[in-house]
Amino acid sequence: MSVKVEVHQQFPGIYCVSFEKKKLATKNLVPERDVYGERLVKYLDVEYRIWDSYRSKFAAAILNGLKKVPIQPNHKVLYLGAASGTTASHISDILGERGHMYCVEFAHRTIRELINNVCLVRSNMSPVLADARLPEQYLSLVEKVDDIYCDIAQPQQAKVLADNADIFLKAKGWVMLAIKARSIDVTKKPLDVYKQEIDTLKIRGFKIEDVVFLEPYDKAHAMVIGTWK
Amino acid sequence: MKTTIVVCVMGVFGFGEVNKIIDVVLFPKDSKEIANILDKIETGSIIGELNALIKNLQNKGYGVFIFENSRLAKRVSEKLSINVDVVIPSESGEILRGNLDKYALDVGFVKHSDEIYDWVHNVSMELAKIKVRNAAKKRDLLIIQAIQTIDELDKTLNLFVSRVREWHGLSFPELYRLVEKHEMRISLINNLGRRENFVFENLKREGVSLKKAEQIAKIAQASMGVKLDDDDIDQIQKLCKSMLVLYTVRHSLERYVNTMMEDIAPNICVLAGPLLGGRLIALAGGLTNLAKMPASTVQVLGAEKALFRALRSGARPPKHGIIFQHSLLHDSKRGQRGKVARALAGKLTIAARVDGFSGRYIGDKLKEDLKRRIDEIKEDKKLRLLKEKNHVRKS
Ligand SMILES: C[S@@+](CC[C@H](N)C(=O)[O-])C[C@H]1O[C@@H](n2cnc3c(N)ncnc32)[C@H](O)[C@@H]1O
Repeated sequence: MSVKVEVHQQFPGIYCVSFEKKKLATKNLVPERDVYGERLVKYLDVEYRIWDSYRSKFAAAILNGLKKVPIQPNHKVLYLGAASGTTASHISDILGERGHMYCVEFAHRTIRELINNVCLVRSNMSPVLADARLPEQYLSLVEKVDDIYCDIAQPQQAKVLADNADIFLKAKGWVMLAIKARSIDVTKKPLDVYKQEIDTLKIRGFKIEDVVFLEPYDKAHAMVIGTWK
Repeated sequence: MKTTIVVCVMGVFGFGEVNKIIDVVLFPKDSKEIANILDKIETGSIIGELNALIKNLQNKGYGVFIFENSRLAKRVSEKLSINVDVVIPSESGEILRGNLDKYALDVGFVKHSDEIYDWVHNVSMELAKIKVRNAAKKRDLLIIQAIQTIDELDKTLNLFVSRVREWHGLSFPELYRLVEKHEMRISLINNLGRRENFVFENLKREGVSLKKAEQIAKIAQASMGVKLDDDDIDQIQKLCKSMLVLYTVRHSLERYVNTMMEDIAPNICVLAGPLLGGRLIALAGGLTNLAKMPASTVQVLGAEKALFRALRSGARPPKHGIIFQHSLLHDSKRGQRGKVARALAGKLTIAARVDGFSGRYIGDKLKEDLKRRIDEIKEDKKLRLLKEKNHVRKS
C-alpha cells in the first residue's frame, strides 16, 4: 500500500497522510514511540504519528474545517486538562524542540501516566500537577504563553480559561476551548451551553474567531477559537 | 520603598519600583532541590534563599514587600514582621514570566538561553512527582481507616453469624452445614424465613443450584427443629437484613481499598494483594513508615506480642506476622515457612520503598524474583531430604 504524506496547506507542523482515507498526522518528535496506540508511518525517512480524530478533539476540529490553528512550531503553550497526553503529545510534535508546553492536570493518577509515558521522553512538555481553577498556584513554574488550549470538561470551563489567560496569555495570544455541553449542565440544551460559554469568553475580553462542532467524532462537543480583543 | 518578590525556577527575585532587578538569590543548580524548594514556598515556608533576599532588600532600604502568593505573604509578615502586600499577578512577575530566557541569561543561571527550558522541564518533572507522592501520602491514612473498618466488620459479622446459627438453628440446625457461604445463608434466611419455606421452588428462585436446592428442601422437610411463630422469625429476619447491609458495605469498602491501593502502592499491591498490603500499611502506621522499615520488621509486623514475649523469655521469635495471610506462606510446608517469610518480606520491603519514595512500577519483576526464590527454597529442601536419605542408608 502506498502511503503519501503532505504538508497541510494551511497549518504549519500538521501533515496529511493518505492511504485508505485522508488522515491528519504530526511529525514524531520521539521516533519509534507511540503514545496511545496510534499508528506510526514512515515517509521519505521521516516518521509521522497518525492523529486520531476520534480520540483527539483538536484533530476532529481541524477535519471539520477549523479556519485557524493558532498553535504553531516554536510556540509556548499552556494546556489545561492534559490528561494522559493524547492530544498534548501531538501539540508537542507541532511545537518541536524549540517550543514548550506546560501541561496542567489535577488527577494525580492520570498525571503519573503523563509524567512516566510522555513527559519523560518529550523534553518540550512540562507536567504541572495543579487545579486549573487556581492558576496563581503555578505562577512560579509557568511563563507567558502564545496559546492556551483548554479541555477540562468541567462547569465554567470558559471562566477557568479566562482566569488563566489573564495571568499567562501574551498580549497577542490565542485560546482554544473544547466545550463539552453535557458535563457543564445536563439540564440545558447543548446549543445553550455553547452560547453561555462563548458569552463568558466575550465578556472576559475575547474576540471569537471560529466555532466548529465536532460531530461525528465527538457528540455534544464544540471547539472555540478566540483571541484578545 | 516598595519591592516586588517574584519566585521562578531559577531563584527568588527582588524588583524595584520601575521593575528593575535589585537583587536576586539563585537556587542551587539541582532540579530535585529546586523542586523541593518550590514545593516548600508554595505551602508558605520561608526558605533560606527568601530570607537572604529579604535581608538584602531591607539593607537597601526597602520596607514594603509585594508578593504573588498570599499564603507566603501572610507567613512572612507574621514571622519577620515586615509590611507585605499581595498582587496577583504583579507587574514585575509579568515581565519576568514574559522574558524568562532573557532573564536566565542576564542573571547567569544559564550560559545559553535555550538551556532554561531543560531546567523548567526537569524541575517541573520533579515537582509533579513530589506532589503525586504527597497526594498519595495523605491517602494512605484513608486506606488505613477503610482496612480497619473491613476487619471490624468481619469480626462483627462473624459474631452475628454465630448468633444466627444458634437462633435460627433452633428451627433448622442443618442449614449451617448445607450452605457454607455465610452471606448466602443469611440472605436465604432473610428472604425465606421459616424452615417450612425452604422448598425447592423458593430455593431455586433464590439462585441456589438445582442439586443443592433439592438436597436442602429434602433435609428441611425431615428436620427436627422447633417451629417458629411469625414474631419469632420476624426478629431473626430483622437481624439478617442488617447483616446484609453490612455485607454490602464490606464489599464496597473492599473495592475502594483495591483501587486506592493500586493507585498509591501498585508494587505492594501486586506482591501482597490490596487487602494484605493495606493491612501492612495500617500496622506500620502509613506508607512512609512501612517504606522505612527493615525487612526483618516487616516480616513480623502484626506479631509484636509474640516478638516481645520471645525477647523477654528467650523463647523462639515468631517467623512471621500478618504476612502469614499470604497464600505463598500458608501454602508452603512448615519447615520452609521461615525462609519463605524472609523472602517475601524482603521483596515487600523493596516494593514499599519504591511505592513510598519513587513511585515507579517494578511489581512484575519483583513478583518474578520472588517466585524464583520460592522455587529455590523448595528445591533446596528436596535436595537436603534426598541427601539425608542417602546418608541414613549408608550408615
Ligand atoms: C476530557 S479530559 C482531557 C482529554 C485531553 N485533552 C486529550 O484530548 O487528550 C479532561 C481532563 O481534565 C482534567 N481536569 C478536569 N478539571 C480540572 C481542573 N480543574 N484542573 C486540572 N485538570 C482538570 C481531568 O482530570 C481530565 O483528565
